[in-house]
Amino acid sequence: MDPVERDHPGGRRRTVLACLAALATLATAACGIHPATAGRDPGTLVIDTANYPSTLDPGKQYDADTYAVYRNIFDQLLRRNPRTQALVPWIATSWRQTDATTWRFAIRRDVRFSDGSPLTAVDAAFSINRILDKKFASQQFANFSMISKATTDGADLVIHTARPAPTLLTYLTTLSVVPQHYVEKAGEQKFAAKPVGSGPYMLESATAGSQVALKANPLWWGPRTSVRAAVFRAVPSVASRVVDLQSRKADLATTLTPDAADQIKRDPKLAVLSTPTERIAYLAFNTIKGGPANDPRVRQAIAAAIDYNALIKNLQRGYAKPINSLLTPLAFGYDKALPDDRYDPATARRLVAQAGAKGRTVVMDTSPSFNPQIVQAIQADLAAVGLKVQIRSTDQPTYLKKVQDPGHNWGSLRFGRWSCACLDADGVIYPLFHTGGIWSSYTNPAFDRLVEQARTVIDPKRRTALYDEAFRILARDLPGLGLFQDYAIYGANSRVSWTPDAQESFYLDAMKVRR
Amino acid sequence: MTAVLPRRRLAALPATPRYLAGRIGQALLALFGVVTIVFFALRLSGDPARLLVPEGATAADIERVRDRLGLNDSLWHQYTTFLGHAVRGDLGYSYVQNRPATALLAERIPYTANLAVAALVLSLLFGVTVGAVTALRRGRWQERVLMPIVLAGQAMPAFWTGLLLVLAFSVGLRWLPSTGYDGPLSLILPSVTLASLSAAAIARVTRGAMLEQLAQDYVRTARAKGAGTWRLVTRHLARNTAIPVLTVAALELANLLGGAVVTEVIFAWPGLGQLTVQSVAARDFPVVQAIVLLASAVYVVVNLATDLLYGVIDRRVSTRGDSA
Repeated sequence: MDPVERDHPGGRRRTVLACLAALATLATAACGIHPATAGRDPGTLVIDTANYPSTLDPGKQYDADTYAVYRNIFDQLLRRNPRTQALVPWIATSWRQTDATTWRFAIRRDVRFSDGSPLTAVDAAFSINRILDKKFASQQFANFSMISKATTDGADLVIHTARPAPTLLTYLTTLSVVPQHYVEKAGEQKFAAKPVGSGPYMLESATAGSQVALKANPLWWGPRTSVRAAVFRAVPSVASRVVDLQSRKADLATTLTPDAADQIKRDPKLAVLSTPTERIAYLAFNTIKGGPANDPRVRQAIAAAIDYNALIKNLQRGYAKPINSLLTPLAFGYDKALPDDRYDPATARRLVAQAGAKGRTVVMDTSPSFNPQIVQAIQADLAAVGLKVQIRSTDQPTYLKKVQDPGHNWGSLRFGRWSCACLDADGVIYPLFHTGGIWSSYTNPAFDRLVEQARTVIDPKRRTALYDEAFRILARDLPGLGLFQDYAIYGANSRVSWTPDAQESFYLDAMKVRR
Repeated sequence: MTAVLPRRRLAALPATPRYLAGRIGQALLALFGVVTIVFFALRLSGDPARLLVPEGATAADIERVRDRLGLNDSLWHQYTTFLGHAVRGDLGYSYVQNRPATALLAERIPYTANLAVAALVLSLLFGVTVGAVTALRRGRWQERVLMPIVLAGQAMPAFWTGLLLVLAFSVGLRWLPSTGYDGPLSLILPSVTLASLSAAAIARVTRGAMLEQLAQDYVRTARAKGAGTWRLVTRHLARNTAIPVLTVAALELANLLGGAVVTEVIFAWPGLGQLTVQSVAARDFPVVQAIVLLASAVYVVVNLATDLLYGVIDRRVSTRGDSA
């Protein structure tokens, strides 16, 4: 440009930078956006999750990122030992079944909500009845639908179930106790915005869509927590969560992929925390209108065609374990006796030929939410035994609408991941295969009877026998097959020590942070 | 960009009331059309109730949620209810968050506006400078160095640019925050990422317009009269190249405001782009409708404003002309 300008490039650059800085500051101030976190206290843990919690009302949404935040603000009625998975007291200190459909829970006496008011059995009963209230339309209703009502008797909580309910206790580990007086006074909206709970943490601030800050609740009844404050940040992209760990912006990141774990391992100051969960990766078949998959021999062939160990080694990079059925060994009802060496391509080829399915096309419905690499690996495995696979990928709501439609007008098979957060066969095979269930494209009266009966039998031995029988039917009919047990993968920097648990609960009070 | 405009130039605006009324009428019609299409397209594309219930839910659970959301009403009833409420400024409640859609938008707009304005300023500074320099120094080393940069900027997708910047400045140098909003420093990487796309477009348009003007007789005359490059640019070329540049800049601004989707996701920027992705994925109809309404309103208003501004800048529309 002009010679004079060229002689003083620095001067010009300074001017531009100054203008920019001024503009940015002005724009920021003018539009009223505020920095979400100021300084970082060494006792504060910064956690990247994929999504902003949809609500802080524990009676409403149930998705993992929402749970992760609000289950720290509230206490649950029961918890599980993170190592043994055994049920342990929490707000309920003891419990017993008084008759086939009545359960009595003693409530811990020294618990106060963060506003100072005491927590009683009345609050616990209210928390349950609130979810059962049709008008409240809780999305968690399905998890508690075995309960007819909750009442109190003195200091005890009494739960009445509609039928004998062996899975009641397992679901009560997800029940957060809310304060009746505050919820009724504040109303739904305000309660969700400014929740009051009795948990180890309380809400400090929330920046909508961006982050939620929690701080330790001084009134909490439990031992002093190592994590004094936590900031949950919504970072939707996995790559960005990894980068946040690498740049020390975040201390802990959830929902990572095996690829991301490999990346994190390269940084000596970062660690991958992972654990086998009760989540399974599975294939389900359309046994009603699934074309070639209507023939059980074709389904058996598919089960024998898949190189399970290759999926685990190459695509999950070791963050998975082989399983022998649609259940993980962690869950009640798992049958060790089922064979687990299923990969046998020669048998698969023979079965395809016997069924006259050689060269036929099976349609695989999927959505981008499900790992496309796994879908393609299965496609290649099936091609190797003579079955063509046409992958039909649609977005998640369309996919759900298609496979959950009572008309069963979808393809031959689909890939999915399943966790009931209940560690029980009931939460897996009942919804997946019971006749008429939204996920089920299978019908077998003998199987239906077994899983229905197992829902009402309390005696664990009898329940186990029923599930063993049910799994034998599933192994023969094969309306679905388990691919592998999935891991939860977290990344953390070396300040954090924490052992994640199989139920993917995210209790901050179980974490330790080095200052 | 241009010199300060004299006040009396405003007299040249083609803003007769009839013209304005016509344009505003068209704008409203366009908004109505867009919202109607989106309303029906959304409802064809999947059932939000299925995304709201737990995995173990039954068909009855889904029905109950559908009932509460009003999704079991006839489409026509849903549509007329929506329009009726919309004209009163009520765009409904988010299915997921159970809060008014307008409140959700209001929280996100400042973030996106900040990002968009910062990106536009950056891209104008860079784009106009580069465009002008490459035009004036055509065939010299400046052009050979700068043009590949421009092309690269336009060719690189935002997620790639963004990640490269983060790797360099957040992971490598630890100078700038990688994600989220923690004060003005957080604005730098996302706005540079966003600007990289529009700056390239603005640079190319500036260069094209400049080259066209440089071939004009008045330029030769001015040069013959001994005008230096700086004088030539500021006195003559700036104003004559402003129209196409302004048009592109306005469209870019509308683009930026309407959804810096990818950039916001990479940088976990809590703006409208991220809200759009989340709401579409969750089939949160009221929020998606509100976003579409807002985005189309921005386009319409920006276009209208651009048309009106032409009169201010273009000498040929003006009543008063300098030597041209």
